[in-house]
Amino acid sequence: MEQVKTGRYDIRGLAEPDATAPKTAIVTGDSAEFDAAELSTRQVNLELRRLLYDEGIHDVTVRNPGAKHSIAVGILTRCKLLIDGSLGYFGCGLIDGPEIRVTGRVGWSVAENMMSGVVVVDKNAGSLTGAALRGGDLVVRGHVGARTGIDQKGGTIIVGGNAGSMTGFMMQRGRQIICGDVGAGMGDSMYDGAIYVAGKVKSLGVDCVESEFTDADQELIDRKFAAYELDAPSSFRKFVCGRKLWNYDSLEPNERKLVL
Amino acid sequence: MSEQFDLKMRHLTGGVGIDTEELTGKTFPYQFDRSLVDDIDLDAATPGADMNWLEDITLMTEDGVTAVFDRYTNAFLKIYFDIPEGREDEYARKVLVKHLQEGNSYGIWLKHRHAKYPQPELGSWKDDSPIVGDNWRPTEPEGWEPPVGH
Repeated sequence: MEQVKTGRYDIRGLAEPDATAPKTAIVTGDSAEFDAAELSTRQVNLELRRLLYDEGIHDVTVRNPGAKHSIAVGILTRCKLLIDGSLGYFGCGLIDGPEIRVTGRVGWSVAENMMSGVVVVDKNAGSLTGAALRGGDLVVRGHVGARTGIDQKGGTIIVGGNAGSMTGFMMQRGRQIICGDVGAGMGDSMYDGAIYVAGKVKSLGVDCVESEFTDADQELIDRKFAAYELDAPSSFRKFVCGRKLWNYDSLEPNERKLVL
Repeated sequence: MSEQFDLKMRHLTGGVGIDTEELTGKTFPYQFDRSLVDDIDLDAATPGADMNWLEDITLMTEDGVTAVFDRYTNAFLKIYFDIPEGREDEYARKVLVKHLQEGNSYGIWLKHRHAKYPQPELGSWKDDSPIVGDNWRPTEPEGWEPPVGH
């Protein structure tokens, strides 16, 4: 039977391995803008990399992102990106350095694995917001879904509204500041880090306990809210790990480094 | 490819601790001389309005020596100079940023050999960072053929 070749095989698993940057951006000085409406995900990301890496542009606006998935991922340079609209899942993931604003909503796992940078979402975010975040600031002005900051290893997540269940699940480092209410199981199995909540918490997860709120905590909140021009609620409660489940040091000392 | 590190100089002990010197066989002047990092501006070196991710970086110890953790390498970088009291974390952060800006992080250097996609080597740390990973080719064992249908 004759075999039909469906396209070039790429061992890295790239979709559209032969795609090229569309070069449709309008460049004005150090900034650029392009319309993503008719572009595939890979074309949008290739155009972004062409502008940022090859052309040395530091300020890019993407119009009509159309809630496409995996947009603006793997950007490893200092720059400013404006996403004028909404994104699907895994938006702005695996980044190191950019300052990104999304004017719409985002799907699950926005800014997952961010090393450094700033991601600001003007509306709501789905579940797994800031999953495995390593560093940087992730600000969602609206509400977020379940498991916000799951496996968070650093950085700061700020939520203007409410957060879903299992917020801070397996959190290992970093900070979450939630202005609204939080669902059931908050901080379940967290290993380190802090979760600040201004509203009500439905229930705490395993080994999550309330802690003393200090002047240093207030300084952090005041500084971050001033930076992002957010109105801070009048008071927060602080939640941390109860350290009943701590066993890395005796069982697997090298595991400690994975969360630093 | 950068020849910055000679892997023959490595001296891996196989112990629990792994530090940068063990991985690279090298130390760097700013591990010993505080004045070499004094002019580092931490806010300017990082995205956003404050120190951003450096808030999570603190002075630690490795093998009884003060050290800062380099997450790009997953190893400690030891600091041998005296640090003024109350400025421990500040100097840990400055040493780390200097280490990254000078391209001495072993994990970043590995991009020359292993990066699979075009990307700036030191994009977050240097404006004129070269692109690496743009000529990556998979190593194909002799006799390998593409899977049926591809």
